[in-house]
Amino acid sequence: MKGLEYFEVECIEPVGAEIYKKIADDILLDLNLSQSIGRLHIYIDPETPLFLAVGVIKQMPGLVHIRDFASALGTGEGVVLDIGTETYLSPMLSILWDTYGRDLITQPDRFTVKIMVPGLNPREVEEMVVVDPSEGMFHDIIYAMQWIAPEGFKVRREIIGKGHFSYVASENTLDEEDIDKLLKEKLACVGVSV
Amino acid sequence: MTVFVPITYKGGVYRHDIIIDLIDDLGGYIVQKHMIAQEVVLQSLVPKDDIELIRKISRPLAGVVIEAPLVGTEIAVVSPSLEIHHLPHTSCDVAEYLRSAGAKTNMIGLARGFGKRIANLSIEERDIINEHDCAVFMLGNFETCIEYKMPALRRGINVPIILTGRPSTEALQRIIDPPVDGYVGGIGRIAHRMRQQEGEIDHLDTLVEEVSAVLSRKREEVAKDPLSINPARLMAVLDDAMDITKRSTHPTPVVVQIRALRVKLPYDTYADPIAAIEIENGVKIGDITQILPSRMRDYILIRIRPFSETKIMV
Repeated sequence: MKGLEYFEVECIEPVGAEIYKKIADDILLDLNLSQSIGRLHIYIDPETPLFLAVGVIKQMPGLVHIRDFASALGTGEGVVLDIGTETYLSPMLSILWDTYGRDLITQPDRFTVKIMVPGLNPREVEEMVVVDPSEGMFHDIIYAMQWIAPEGFKVRREIIGKGHFSYVASENTLDEEDIDKLLKEKLACVGVSV
Repeated sequence: MTVFVPITYKGGVYRHDIIIDLIDDLGGYIVQKHMIAQEVVLQSLVPKDDIELIRKISRPLAGVVIEAPLVGTEIAVVSPSLEIHHLPHTSCDVAEYLRSAGAKTNMIGLARGFGKRIANLSIEERDIINEHDCAVFMLGNFETCIEYKMPALRRGINVPIILTGRPSTEALQRIIDPPVDGYVGGIGRIAHRMRQQEGEIDHLDTLVEEVSAVLSRKREEVAKDPLSINPARLMAVLDDAMDITKRSTHPTPVVVQIRALRVKLPYDTYADPIAAIEIENGVKIGDITQILPSRMRDYILIRIRPFSETKIMV
């Protein structure tokens, strides 16, 4: 897969391994995760059955500030925000409401938001953090793994570590010690020692 | 006896009634009619000798006549669930491809068909699948899983089964015991739409061939003890008497199967009036068929009885 420096699917059935490589590739691409995951190792044992995925997160997306999608202009009655894209409009409004109070925020049209606080520094508003995408990314990664894993594997264990993640799923209850041993072994494949 | 050949006619809306009248005059039957924007698609059964005539008349209307082997059949496309793992890819691709070959497909997502050990088939699902001409089981990528879960999924199913999965056709044949009626390898779970000719569309073509081979065997079986009435003719009689197609909002209010009809009308209200409809010379629909409640909603399933039982042929 493009973008990943290491990507391996380990399975006793070569046909299954090959197709699961393609499935993982398609799904990570669909969810825009192929740039965020650096190394990925998937281990499938259809006999047990067991699906295990371990990976390293390459880059965390940066914080989204108001300046990234809007420009602020100081006026006599406060600050006027000119919205470029509406993607983060809803979380921004919630934050502005919490900070300045609902009465002081008006939205005359889709692309304009006014903060009626006289003397407010527009630069200060632009620096406000709206969203931390890394919070949602772990969600996205686990969702991707659930999607990649064969359906019906409802006994799950997912661990998010610093810069890495692991996902184990099966339809049977599994021996904790065996899984820990297996996880350690597979994490070593992506260069993580626990 | 006239030999009917299943065809699909595709052409513009403009003057398509000429073709409808022609098929009617030739003694053929229109099984399904779709109007999609400016296009008309007619799935019909026509006498074999008259195909050339239909071709000739449809040429000035820019219509095309294609032989569609699956017209007049209803096929269940069974997938382990209707979750994102199986839909929209593979299941929809397969159902759509079978439909383009003329079949009426119903997609059946099992409530508990996923997993390996936990895979199961409910009684309602089993009965609904048994109301079709054949069932296409769409399983996954691992031999071990298919081998293990197939016995649970096929339990009680008495219509022909065509099994698809990622392992090769030979591997599928090896692991399934007792054998099912058809096998198509190379179609497993994927996460993208089937677009490539090689390795994707080719397998779908093989599937259509396999399904038509299985259904021709079924048709031959039926021909040994012929039905009291041709299902397409029964549909025409029913539609003439009750105007179902005109009054219903269903895309296919009457579905033609190889030895049955599914009528999308409530059973309680319409079963008796249908049984009382006269076909010809005093023979009523109720005399030569069993009118049963379908497990699918409150529809009616009309099973046509064979000549050997009724001693009537209309």
